[in-house]
Amino acid sequence: MNYFPDEVIEHVFDFIASHRDRNSISLVCKSWHKIERFSRKQVFIGNCYAINPERLIGRFPCLKSLTLKGKPHFADFNLVPYEWGGFVLPWIEALARSRVGLEELRLKRMVVTDESLELLSRSFANFKSLVLVSCEGFTTDGLASIAANCRHLRELDLQENEIDDHRGQWLNCFPDSCTTLTSLNFACLKGETNVAALERLVARSPNLKSLKLNRAVPLEALARLMSCAPQLLDLGVGSYENEPDPESFTKLMAAIKKCTSLRSLSGFLEVAPLCLPAFYPICQNLISLNLSYAAEIQGNHLIKLIQLCKRLQRLWILDSIGDKGLVVVADTCKELQELRVFPSDIHGEEDNNAAVTEVGLVAISAGCPKLHSILYFCKQMTNAALITVARNCPNFIRFRLCILEPHKPDHITSQSLDEGFGAIVQACKGLRRLSVSGLLNDQVFLYIGMYAEQLEMLSIAFAGDTDKGMLYVLNGCKKLRKLEIRDSPFGNAALLADVHKYETMRSLWMSSCEVTLGGCKRLAQNSPRLNVEIINENENNRMERNEEDEREKVDKLYLYRTVVGTRKDAPPYVRIL
Amino acid sequence: MAKEGLGLEITELRLGLPGDNYSESKKKKRVLSDMMTSSSVDTEDENGVVSSVEDNSSPVMKSQAVGWPPVCSYRRKKNNEELASKAIGYVKVSMDGLPYLRKVDLGSSNSYDNLATVLEDLFGCLGLGVANEGKKCEYIIIYEDKDRDWMLVGDVPWQMFKESCKRLRIVKRSDATGFGLS
Repeated sequence: MNYFPDEVIEHVFDFIASHRDRNSISLVCKSWHKIERFSRKQVFIGNCYAINPERLIGRFPCLKSLTLKGKPHFADFNLVPYEWGGFVLPWIEALARSRVGLEELRLKRMVVTDESLELLSRSFANFKSLVLVSCEGFTTDGLASIAANCRHLRELDLQENEIDDHRGQWLNCFPDSCTTLTSLNFACLKGETNVAALERLVARSPNLKSLKLNRAVPLEALARLMSCAPQLLDLGVGSYENEPDPESFTKLMAAIKKCTSLRSLSGFLEVAPLCLPAFYPICQNLISLNLSYAAEIQGNHLIKLIQLCKRLQRLWILDSIGDKGLVVVADTCKELQELRVFPSDIHGEEDNNAAVTEVGLVAISAGCPKLHSILYFCKQMTNAALITVARNCPNFIRFRLCILEPHKPDHITSQSLDEGFGAIVQACKGLRRLSVSGLLNDQVFLYIGMYAEQLEMLSIAFAGDTDKGMLYVLNGCKKLRKLEIRDSPFGNAALLADVHKYETMRSLWMSSCEVTLGGCKRLAQNSPRLNVEIINENENNRMERNEEDEREKVDKLYLYRTVVGTRKDAPPYVRIL
Repeated sequence: MAKEGLGLEITELRLGLPGDNYSESKKKKRVLSDMMTSSSVDTEDENGVVSSVEDNSSPVMKSQAVGWPPVCSYRRKKNNEELASKAIGYVKVSMDGLPYLRKVDLGSSNSYDNLATVLEDLFGCLGLGVANEGKKCEYIIIYEDKDRDWMLVGDVPWQMFKESCKRLRIVKRSDATGFGLS
């Protein structure tokens, strides 16, 4: 390869998209490092505090697409206080200052403000794509800036963000000259939508492939929108809670029939089940169906719909589908690759006989040979079921099981579920992500350490007996990148056993465990390349009183590798050791 | 006087079954009650309705720990909104032939007559009655109960109705067969 001119090598590198592969390439030799640097267009940063914007731009001055992740995963479950960090503004400011030709920005769990959106919209003439997932801190005013100023905008994708809806006219802010939209997702907006503006926008966007509406877009408008956009691949239905009058229903059916390219359906945020038959004609084409927000679609309506979706590869559903419904899925959806079953009754309020159990899981594993990813919330589980699932589906890449009641044993034998999860890790040699739950001893972690060779992310809650459990994992899982633990009896001995391990990982989270301030301090002393953060949000006074009491248990510990040292934007209740 | 040697340990109050030794090692597993915090998730939807469902401590203590079950907060809020409107007693009401739904607060009515009046006001329909009383009206009221059956409003005591009613529907008397009306 050294005999080729740089341009040729660069051309070869262009075929390599995976950032991991590109990272590997850049380590081969100095010349490759240099060529790779200047040709890298897409950069992925899994932890925004592992590096800073200046160094990013210094190394990859030609970048066009940036993905940034901020808060740790457990922030999704309210375990990380609001002002912990993950602010995107400094990144946008730095990119704007250095005249990087940014075209795409993808953010997850970051704090985004209207100010940063405004700056973003004005600083990059070729900006095309904004994807925000689980972000917060901005309003529809920020969206208005993006709409108004990004002349070449193709994608505006807002997934599960907390957005203050000022009920303004942000949709009106797209200029008439804007005809380049390919993807528009505003399902998470809570307020009213200017439906007329939306219809005009859709009508002048011939390349629109993905459209996801919010609650405020009613059935009549949906029919008109779909008539304007028969080329849609991906549709998120808003709301049509009213039982439709025959005329509206007919129009909707006619519009939907024309959408022969439709492959993905979601939303149904509030819906009268009687509207569903309008979608029957396109069900046979669907590869992705997300009904996890459609609490109203249950029982026979749901079953009828699913029975028509024979090509489904991805299904997100609520547990109100029940074991019986999952048997129907197993019989019908032979191409299924990913299944997520969410709890409809989070607080355990209702005596929910319809929720799913191990029976549904076993049925799916038996009926769907291509299944590789599962997220399953259930009331109960058995070792026997897990062993059967492992035998049926050795191809799992992601296996996340959440038994709703912490510490719950095998409901038939009353034993722990160590053997069941052990069977999963032993059979599924390609397993990359695992979440465990139910009654678990140290044994399960011995199995995980022994068998889960490809494991990259492990989530533990209310599990284990002693430090040995955590040690088995740290010693055994060579490819571990993210470890998150809550409410488990792991302490300093486990934390401190192999400090260098953490530099091979992205991050470690431990909350409500047995680690103490003293242990964390010792860890921090030995690790200049780790940031060790202690979060004690409820204990503002405690910092003064017990600051040096090293026996105090730490509420929340979050540590991560970094090349840029301690961050400067942490709030007072976050102590960085 | 030293307590040791008097065998008073047997009178000591302990947690656990008789014969258990409640030792320090058992403290390693944090009991759910330790994890209940007062910083529970209060959600307010746009109408200022605060969902205090997490304060509802039932004797069977499921999922009271913060952030458990691990459902992302966006999804949890959606779930809370649903529960809040259910908890308060709002049920949806549809009327045959009309393209919109209304919501009515069962909690704020105290009798069938009261409910009938409220519905009349909402839909501008006079003479709505319950069970066999409203013989003059073209429409009658039916409701979907917990078992997902449709029943005639007015057959059971008011309190029982309030607790089991999931949604309401106003239908034409002529369309409502099988409810035992003449």
